[in-house]
Amino acid sequence: MSAASPDAGPAGGRAPAGEPQTLAAPAGLVSDVLAITGRAIRGILREPELFIFALIIPVFFFVVQIGALADVAEQQLRIPNYAAFQLPISILFAAASTSGGNALVLDIANGYWDKLSLTPAHRSSLVVGNLFGEMFAVLGYSLVLLLFGFAIGVRFASSPLVGSVGLLALTLLFGIGFASVSIAVALATGSVRATQSTFIIFFPLLFLTPSALPRELMTGWFETAVSLNPMTYVVEAARSFLGYGGGVLRGFLAAALFSALTFGLTALAFRRRVRMG
Amino acid sequence: MSAIQASDLVHRFGEVEAVRGVSLEVAETEIYGFLGPNGAGKSTIVRILTTLLQPTSGSGSVLGHDVTREATTVRRLIGVALQEAGLDPKQTGRELLTLQGKLYGLKGRVLTAQVAEVTELVGLTDAIDRRIQTFSGGMKRRLDLASALLHRPRVLFLDEPTTGLDPLSRALIWDRLRELRERFGATIFLTTQYLEEADELADRVAIIDHGRIVRQGTPAELKAEVGADVIDVAIEERETGAARSAIQQLQSSGELPAGELRGTQAGYTLFVPNGPQNIAVLIRGLDRAGVRFGAVSVSRPTLDDVFLAATGGRMAAADQDGQGEEGQGRDPEPAGTGRRAS
Repeated sequence: MSAASPDAGPAGGRAPAGEPQTLAAPAGLVSDVLAITGRAIRGILREPELFIFALIIPVFFFVVQIGALADVAEQQLRIPNYAAFQLPISILFAAASTSGGNALVLDIANGYWDKLSLTPAHRSSLVVGNLFGEMFAVLGYSLVLLLFGFAIGVRFASSPLVGSVGLLALTLLFGIGFASVSIAVALATGSVRATQSTFIIFFPLLFLTPSALPRELMTGWFETAVSLNPMTYVVEAARSFLGYGGGVLRGFLAAALFSALTFGLTALAFRRRVRMG
Repeated sequence: MSAIQASDLVHRFGEVEAVRGVSLEVAETEIYGFLGPNGAGKSTIVRILTTLLQPTSGSGSVLGHDVTREATTVRRLIGVALQEAGLDPKQTGRELLTLQGKLYGLKGRVLTAQVAEVTELVGLTDAIDRRIQTFSGGMKRRLDLASALLHRPRVLFLDEPTTGLDPLSRALIWDRLRELRERFGATIFLTTQYLEEADELADRVAIIDHGRIVRQGTPAELKAEVGADVIDVAIEERETGAARSAIQQLQSSGELPAGELRGTQAGYTLFVPNGPQNIAVLIRGLDRAGVRFGAVSVSRPTLDDVFLAATGGRMAAADQDGQGEEGQGRDPEPAGTGRRAS
């Protein structure tokens, strides 16, 4: 690990030989990120009830959608295996409903952010570590939902391994985008309430997509709105792993652009917080 | 080389000028007490010198490293315990210290040994594997102190480390700070609103008021600046006018030497040389004038008196008011100011 900070110097600064030296030394960016990620994951594992609560809504929507529309979709609209059609939506739903900023904003509110900021760790690691911790949660949600899907007969178009890895990779990329929004709000406002309310952006972004029906069956303003929403292409790419067509690359590109945009906002909010102290 | 240096530090929060041109210098291994009421600007200066906040103007350095341009190097050299012990309640004490150590680049056996050493130093060995949410306020303060010491910093910034603690916990922290200086030669920058704490621990004291340093020196020097003993006399509220007249008459007749007379919560405080002799003159004079008075005492000046002389307000009164950076509402010569027991 050698990604030392620009002003990294020998610990103890300019003290002449024989003077007491501090034990502190540059740890490196990767080590800093690993340490903060480890702490974030520990926090998630310490509160399994939050993990379970976060799964309730996606599972509920999944079951209700299938119960309400499966027969119509499969018999009238010729969508084969509506559960497989819906599974990626519930996984993306779970990924979008994570709030990476919640842990961070609590740190800011109780002063632990200051404590960490006083260490020589790369300050970006404080944000990136939290983000990675949140992605650990997203991975957990996705795996649980995938297993649930398998249990009710959902199968991938190609091999389960390729399909799972592809879907999980896309979900993580997409999840980074949503978690970044929450983290950006946490850094910009330091407000627990504002950070929790970022959940609201999920609704237009995920419901203005072909979440219930394929895009070909949509008409009018709704079809236009859905086509303009980049999340549509993420949803379609996610479905492509289950045999519903759709451009995989286009979906990854849309998720990457979304995440780059929101992570950029996080970077701006981070710089502002560091500057404001 | 100075351990800490600040030069014309200014910091504004919008319209409010919290720090108004502070310059100071702290020598290595010195314990420097930074004394002032709530909102005087102490914490803002600590945040600037510990790299958390950039000054609006002016500069600061730690062991020769600029706190703005060489912030990461400064962070390696300093240990900081802020006013509010910011700790993650979900972690255990050991997890928190281990994470902290990793971020300071400590690894393996060194990290394990340091965690054990600082845990023992602050007396938390038995509780270190408990979740922090189960810790009392005093334990959290001690854990915060331990985390500040983990990497053996050369300069330690402690922002009101004992505020809100019971006397036992406060005494324990004082002992640990003395030990730190003796064992590791650490420089300690200590902000406090407790006069007793500054008097007890600090080699030198700066008094800050309204964002400016108004006095600086050793506690003995500062007390000597007052140049008089302090006579406190308790007077019933309805007798205060008569008492003031009687004392002023004693002064104008030359029976009592001229000296500052200030109203306090309990009565009056009179600053005069030769306190033990003049207390008798005062008692006789009040008695002659028929003024009913209570307890009368004479003492050497305290830092509170220094603070009073420097700012026109008592630390105790300012504490009670909990005033902000502007110190609004402080009465320069109020009848309702009190003398803090110390």
